[in-house]
Amino acid sequence: MKVELITVRNGEERVVEYEYKPREEGERPMALDVLLQAQATELPDLAFRYGCRNRTCGICTIDVNGRPRVGCRARVRDGDRVSAPATLPVVRDMVSRRDGVARQLRGRLPNGLRGNDLEVAAPDDYHALTACIECYACLDKCPMHARNFEDGEERRDASGAYRHGNPFSLLKLQRIRLDPVADPAEKAAALETALALGLDACRDCPGCKCGVGIDLKRKVVKPLVVAAFGDS
Amino acid sequence: MTIETEWRDYDVIVVGSGGAGSAAAHAASEAGAKVLVVSKDPIGCSDTKIAEGIVTVRASAGEDDTEEVLAENLRIAGSDLPTEDITAAFAQDTQDAYEWYRRQGVRPDMDHKEDKPAVLPIALGGHTKRRSIGHQNGGLALGHALWNAVVQGIDYLEDAWFLDVVTEENDDGPDEVLGGLIYDAARGVFVAVRAPSVVIASGGLSTMYFPKTDTMRGNTGDSYALALRAGADLVDMEQIQFLPFCMTYPPAYEGLLAGEPVTAGYLGVLRDKDGKVILDSVMLRTRAECSAAIVRAVEAGRGTERDGCYLDLTGNVDLPKSGPYFEKFLHTAVSGVMATVRQAWGKNAAQCKEMWEVRPGAHYAMGGMRVNSDCVAIGDDGADVPVRGLYAAGQAMGGVFGSNRLGSTSLSEGAIFGARAGRGAAARAKTARTKPQEDRFEKRLARYADALSHDGGDAPALLVKELQAACWNFIGPARTEDGLDTFDAAVAQLRDRASKAAIPADALWNQSFIEYLELMNMLDTAQAVSLAARDRDHSLGAHVRLDGGQTSTLFGQPHSVVVRRDSAGGYAVSHAARPKTPLKRLLPHMIADAKRKLSLKTLRMMPAGMRDNIIEDRYRSVMGEVSREDVDAKTEAAAA
Repeated sequence: MKVELITVRNGEERVVEYEYKPREEGERPMALDVLLQAQATELPDLAFRYGCRNRTCGICTIDVNGRPRVGCRARVRDGDRVSAPATLPVVRDMVSRRDGVARQLRGRLPNGLRGNDLEVAAPDDYHALTACIECYACLDKCPMHARNFEDGEERRDASGAYRHGNPFSLLKLQRIRLDPVADPAEKAAALETALALGLDACRDCPGCKCGVGIDLKRKVVKPLVVAAFGDS
Repeated sequence: MTIETEWRDYDVIVVGSGGAGSAAAHAASEAGAKVLVVSKDPIGCSDTKIAEGIVTVRASAGEDDTEEVLAENLRIAGSDLPTEDITAAFAQDTQDAYEWYRRQGVRPDMDHKEDKPAVLPIALGGHTKRRSIGHQNGGLALGHALWNAVVQGIDYLEDAWFLDVVTEENDDGPDEVLGGLIYDAARGVFVAVRAPSVVIASGGLSTMYFPKTDTMRGNTGDSYALALRAGADLVDMEQIQFLPFCMTYPPAYEGLLAGEPVTAGYLGVLRDKDGKVILDSVMLRTRAECSAAIVRAVEAGRGTERDGCYLDLTGNVDLPKSGPYFEKFLHTAVSGVMATVRQAWGKNAAQCKEMWEVRPGAHYAMGGMRVNSDCVAIGDDGADVPVRGLYAAGQAMGGVFGSNRLGSTSLSEGAIFGARAGRGAAARAKTARTKPQEDRFEKRLARYADALSHDGGDAPALLVKELQAACWNFIGPARTEDGLDTFDAAVAQLRDRASKAAIPADALWNQSFIEYLELMNMLDTAQAVSLAARDRDHSLGAHVRLDGGQTSTLFGQPHSVVVRRDSAGGYAVSHAARPKTPLKRLLPHMIADAKRKLSLKTLRMMPAGMRDNIIEDRYRSVMGEVSREDVDAKTEAAAA
């Protein structure tokens, strides 16, 4: 089975055709299996991220044929093309620079929730959003995130944070709005932050796709948009 | 090659952003310290995040669960190797630690009758009380909390490999921490940080056994290698926990967790390749006992082709009344594991209608940096501090679990000792006056800069593969003196080849350099494991010596094996005596354990109908009423 790996060195892209050797008869390998085998044989300095091999740590996201997938659970076929997530700047090979995403929420979520009553159950949707593994697959085709790269210029602040938001950040903010422990002021601040990050971009957007199947459109975007603009 | 160095000043450096690191950073920051977190993976993407998410909280199911009971459970499970002060600290702080997680957003299911978090219906193996709390989404629930604790207000670098602690060597007293060195791969620079306190919280060593492990790739022994090189002692390094029930196939799932002893239920047993029972009462056994049973069967030629054995849970689901309770228990206690089982092996396996082919996988290092209950590096007699300003927490520290760690304790451990280390590190930073000694940083950095560009033979990534195979074969779940001899020769040879490895000159995300750094950490750590495994020539807990007898826990004086680097750069091994749990305290546990095993045996011998009724009653008393229809509906929903 041949898989095309896109390597990036000093900004230069190359297509490397790698022949995967199945480890058992009829094996249908995951994209991560291909990268691991390539590194253990012909491409020992191939750079890629991975962690748990169990679709939980969220860091092995790669693009398969141009679409973001969680690498350890993305089966590949002959002729598939594996590359770094295109939604973020590529550092090397399959590694994109992620840290501008999380930094944009620095200081914008409650930290500690002191004094509130903890003995309350959270609603089902709070847990549904907690299933997020931070794989950033949702950045794909996001018009809000795309604003960070308009006119070919990357928009980060002094701390390295992206100025414009993305579905992951909105999920973290909506989670605060669903948290029975957070107080009304914190929930209001979460909505303000969503607006500051560019929530208006969601009004004309057909919706985003989650890497692990969370209904982002209905459980994250819609409640925020309705609360902010009254749209339905 | 030339690579830019950026200088920074902080009060506290925390290495790692998992359960221990984020708790340390948060506590130090709350105490007023200026903190830098250094993480090679994205913030919070740690073993805590990928764990099953079950947390030990003392007295969560009743006030009769005293601090003494919990501390004693840890020490007895750990064959008296855990220290008294550390286990007492653990027992004292579980509730605070859990509250910390909750204040960062962890929301457990509530027991509405009691108005407090719901506790799992069965005590996990080795715990004499029910005190484990599970969470929807497993460890992810905790992962969001860690992320929140760090991202909200603390400076951090991710994609950054911590290279070494920099110390000042004093002739007339302990060495002093001056700071640390970092390779920031994403920006292609070195970062030299002046700081009087360093907390090592960079996890374990299971990646030495890849792919036979269920943990994060980042567990390359960094914690232990950093501690050794900084001059600290390590204890109990031979004690590495192998989870008994990890998958042997399919290849993409090899090493991933399939279940715990307790999830074997009342009737789960282990069988060899021919179906003969090799271990019964699995539910009451420790992880170490189950792993040892499999390893010994494989060694005796009774294992499967993939060097595994069969975990047979079918007895639990064959019973019409209690079967649904078991299924519900399984899917509640370890929902993430069951999802993986279903993906890997299909529906019948997930319903426990067929046996599972399993093999031990590396999961957790009980040993680590020798510290006191405030996570301060200590030497012999608890005094004799080798390095001032050095702390370790979480898997990086030793002394909490000894020869066996009980289920659900590590997630508490990270938060408990992380907070203790963070507070201590912040307090020291207030009084410590480090002198500017840039030359100490620069000397070390020059060595790393040399390594960053190296013409040579072997690629570091391929040397890592060789080391991993040797680790599994010789310092894995079964050890012999001959094997250790072979291993030490292999390590010496790999060290030599590593010194001549090929590393291209490239500052930005140099993967070969990263592999080289991790290889060196794995080599240092593996050597410490090998020395400790050689020194302990009898089996004890997780350490199985096929060529030695079992260590008696009733007689004889317990000791921990200590490994440190001597002044010449070699390794020195010594012993630290541990107090023994008095016989009159030990006996009741042994009797209770024997009674529980006897009661399971009696259950197995009863007529099926009677057995079914008794087991149903036991489940119902803690789980409430459960019907076949409920369970089938839930399983269908989960599968969809």
